Parts: sequence; C-alpha cells; structure tokens
Amino acid sequence: MTDLLKIEWIKLRKYIVFKLMAIFFAVGVVALNYIVYTVNKNIVNNVPGAGLVSFSPYDFKNTWQSTSYATGFILILPSLLLMLLFTNEYTYKTHRQNIIDGLSRRQFISVKIAMAFIFALVSTVLVFFTALGFGFASGTTFSFHGVVFVAYFFLKALSYNMVAVLFSVLIRRTGFATGVFFIYTGAENIISQLLNVLCIKIKREDGTDLGNIGDYLPMNASDSLLAFPDNPIKNLSKAIMPTDYTWIAFSLALFYLVVFYLWSRWKFLKADL
Amino acid sequence: MSVLSIDKLSKNYRSIKALDNVSFTVPSQTVFGILGPNGSGKTTLLGIIMDILKASSGSYNWNGQQSTNEVRKKIGTLLETPNFYHYMNAEDNLLIAARIKGRGEGDIEKVLRIVNLYERRKSKFSTYSLGMKQRLAIASTLLGDPDILVFDEPTNGLDPAGIAEIRELIKQLNRQGKTIIMASHILDEVEKVCTHVAIIQKGVMKTYGSVQDVLHPSGVQASKVQIEIAAADTDKLRTILQGMPGVESVTAAEQELLILCDESVSAEQVNKYCFEQGVILNKLQVKRKSLETRFLEITGKQSDR
Repeated sequence: MTDLLKIEWIKLRKYIVFKLMAIFFAVGVVALNYIVYTVNKNIVNNVPGAGLVSFSPYDFKNTWQSTSYATGFILILPSLLLMLLFTNEYTYKTHRQNIIDGLSRRQFISVKIAMAFIFALVSTVLVFFTALGFGFASGTTFSFHGVVFVAYFFLKALSYNMVAVLFSVLIRRTGFATGVFFIYTGAENIISQLLNVLCIKIKREDGTDLGNIGDYLPMNASDSLLAFPDNPIKNLSKAIMPTDYTWIAFSLALFYLVVFYLWSRWKFLKADL
Repeated sequence: MSVLSIDKLSKNYRSIKALDNVSFTVPSQTVFGILGPNGSGKTTLLGIIMDILKASSGSYNWNGQQSTNEVRKKIGTLLETPNFYHYMNAEDNLLIAARIKGRGEGDIEKVLRIVNLYERRKSKFSTYSLGMKQRLAIASTLLGDPDILVFDEPTNGLDPAGIAEIRELIKQLNRQGKTIIMASHILDEVEKVCTHVAIIQKGVMKTYGSVQDVLHPSGVQASKVQIEIAAADTDKLRTILQGMPGVESVTAAEQELLILCDESVSAEQVNKYCFEQGVILNKLQVKRKSLETRFLEITGKQSDR
C-alpha cells in the first residue's frame, strides 16, 4: 500500500488544484473558526443583556465541539478535491492505463479509498490543532472535555469523502458527478429538515418520541453527531424538540460508511472501465 | 508455445454482440495482427485481455497462466488512445507507469530517446501534438523491456516518417525475440509488419493464421502474379507484352499497365524481355494477389458488413 500511495503522491504533487484547495481549506478552517470566535466575543462584550446568555464556544470545555461543528461547513472542499482527482482519471482514461500497466482493480479502488481516509485524517488533525489554538486563545485551562467530537468530525469527514468516492465510481464524469454531489447534499438536507419537523409534530400531538428521523439519512447521520455546543438559547428549545438519539445516528453513520465502501468497491471491481 | 490463447470469448452490450465466440492463439515471437474495420471489436478484444472490460463469456490466458495484474506488469500495452495525466510532463507520466510496473524506472531516458521525445521530456502532456502523445504512449510500453507488447492502432496520428519509424521499431522489437500483438484497420500495415493475422469483423473471427496463408492462400487465383508496369510508349509496351509467353492479360491503368501472368514469370524475365524488344521500362512492380481483394473475399462486400 505504501508503494501505491507514493504513486498517488506523484499524481497529486503536480496538480495545481490540489495545492490551491489544500491552502484554501487550511486557511478556511482557521478563518471560519476565527470568525465564530470573534463574533461571539463581540456579542458577549458589546450587546446589552447578552451577558444573560453568556456562553464561550471556544473555552476548553466547548472548543473541541465548536471547532468540529464550524469546520463541518467547509468539509465539502476535501471531498470535492477527492472527486476531481478520481473523475479526472476517468476523463483522461488513466484509470484504464493504471490497470493496463499492472495495478489490479482491487489495488486501484483500495488506494482511492485510502486517500479518502487520509484526507479525512488530515482534516481531523487540522481541526484538532485549530481547536487547541482557540482553546488557549480563550485563556481557559486545557482540557480534553468533549474531545469525542473531534472523533465524530473524523467520522463525518470520512462519510463525505466516501460519498465522493462512490459518486465518482458511479457517475465518472467530473461536472456531472460534482453537480449530483451538491444537489444530493442539498436535497438530503431539505428532506431531513422536513422529516425533523414531522418528528416535532408527532411528539407534540401524541408524545411519541422518534428522535430526529431526518438525522438518520446517509449524509445527515454523521452530520447530526456534530451540533453547536449546548448554550442557553438551545437549552430553551429542548423541551419541545425530540430527543437526539446519538447512538442511533452513530451506528447508522458507521453502517452507511460500510455501504459506501462495499458499493464503490463492488462497482469498480465488476464494471467495464 | 503460445503467448496468448483466447477461448470462445464473447462480449455483449445489451443486444449488440461486440465479440462473438472468438478463439485464437498467438504463437511466441510473432507479430500478430488483429485486422478488422472500425467497430469490428478489436479494441474490445484487447480491452478484455487487459482486464479493463469484462467478458460476457469465455476465457483467455497469458503464457498458459491465468491473467493477473502481475502478468500485465510484464506486458507493454498501448490501448486505443494515449492515456496520460494532462498536467504532468512526459517524465513524470512515465515515472507513474514504471512505478506501477515495478520496473523500468531507469529506462525512462532511453525510451524517450527511442521515440524522439527526450528534448520535450519536461513539457506538459497537454502541450503535446497528437503524434507526440502517440509516441509517448509507445515509449511507455517499452519501459522495463517487456517480452510481450500490445499495440492498438500504433501508427494512429503519426506523420509518414513517424509511421515508418514505428513500423521499423516493431520489426526490430520482433527481431529481438519479442511477441507483438497489434490491432489495425490498415491492411497494408498488417502486411508490411505482421507475421500472423486474425481477421475480425462485426465481432466474429473470420480467419487466422500466418499472413502468407491468410492473405495469399495457395489456389488458382493466388498462383497468378500481378505486375504493374510502365514505359514512355505505353502502346508499344502493350503490344509486346501481349506477345510475351506466360502473360495472360494486359489491362490499362492510367499511365501504366497491369499484367496478370503465371507464377513462373519473374520481374527479371519481364524486364529482360521488354528490353530485348526495345522498350525501356520506367516502372516494374510485382504485386501479389491484391490485399484488398483478398480482404473483401474474407469479410464480404460492403453490403453484408
């Protein structure tokens, strides 16, 4: 596998889009969190009465969760890059050439999945250090409280990346694949919101608490593991909201990962390339 | 000893039969041509034996072994179009191929020189002309000095000099003892380069064997020799040729004459005879049985294609 990854690296290192995306994402993670950090600080300090709902998302008890949550909004960047890299192989038919030259189909798809894993890992490491930095910047004492959210972030990143791999294998064409990826993500969010509203209605009307069913959809399962930390406003709304069944979302997220993995692998091993 | 043996290979795309029960074997150290019109299934066939297409039924093996990626590492293949990373230069593209093969990394400079691309080794692939791309693809097949080479339309996109060079390269590789499997729709190319040929049409194998056997089978027709001949005074030439023993017919073809004669008649005899009759030839070319004619005999006329 190391040899295969070295070959992937040769493909990556000269790819200008990779360099741009990597810089953009790294800067983006820090900048995005910095915005949340600053806005929150200014509200607490300057808006009269805001002190009542006083809440510091980047204190060490919250920073792991806040950073993971906020970064989720630009997590689509690494998966897009992954998708570009994969669908480019189809566009230039280099996937064929790699196999003709002696990779097995299994090796080819495995190294792409390994790349999805590595991209998720690197994003997670970036989040970890960003969270650490803002934690210290908030002037609080170091703590690993809530560091599990960084693990959830990894799960979410891996889910996005695996969806990117799956869509690449199924759709092949760069523009079409990225388009479908965006539309699917958007559509799933809308459906998820509708389902969640339905859950609120059911809970209010006959007290049955199904949890947020919308969170059980393929991409939302891992999304739902990350929310903004508990804060006074959120706590107020909790009474009417269905319970978050984290364990269900977590199990489903893992289940979907396995599906994405097996499906893309199966497709690549069986199809005409 | 056969390098490749193909057994009842079929490939269906829904209702279309791209390949129908194709079987043949490629003997070692031959230049084996797969000849057929466009869309006859040549590339499909090569795609299957390279594991990028899945056969609907049938099997194949390389050197008597089941095909694996390890086997492919020892075969140099150019399939359909040159497939390279557009944003990378020739050297890096070849580096990827060599790394995948696990051999030939030290050959990069050598193969680039063989195809005359060494000067442009640092240029991005996207800046290459069609002919250069084709030459880079051929360079890539030579990495690691494989014993088997597979070329799909190797002279595609090349200029006449390039075509001649590549044909010479193929013959040279064959002289070194390598087996070359080559798909082509150009009859002339197959005759010039190949030792063996399989003719495929609409996915069906029509015939295969040595070029001599397939394109020039012994028989009544084949025992005739066709000679293209010309001189300044065409009329006089025609008159004397009609009187030459062994000549069966003389037909005019533009500025020259086409004679059909016995196999026993040699070019030397014709030349001598004409000279003695006071006609100096300015063209004398022996044609064996017309390739086109033979090809059409095998594949049928346009209407049943």
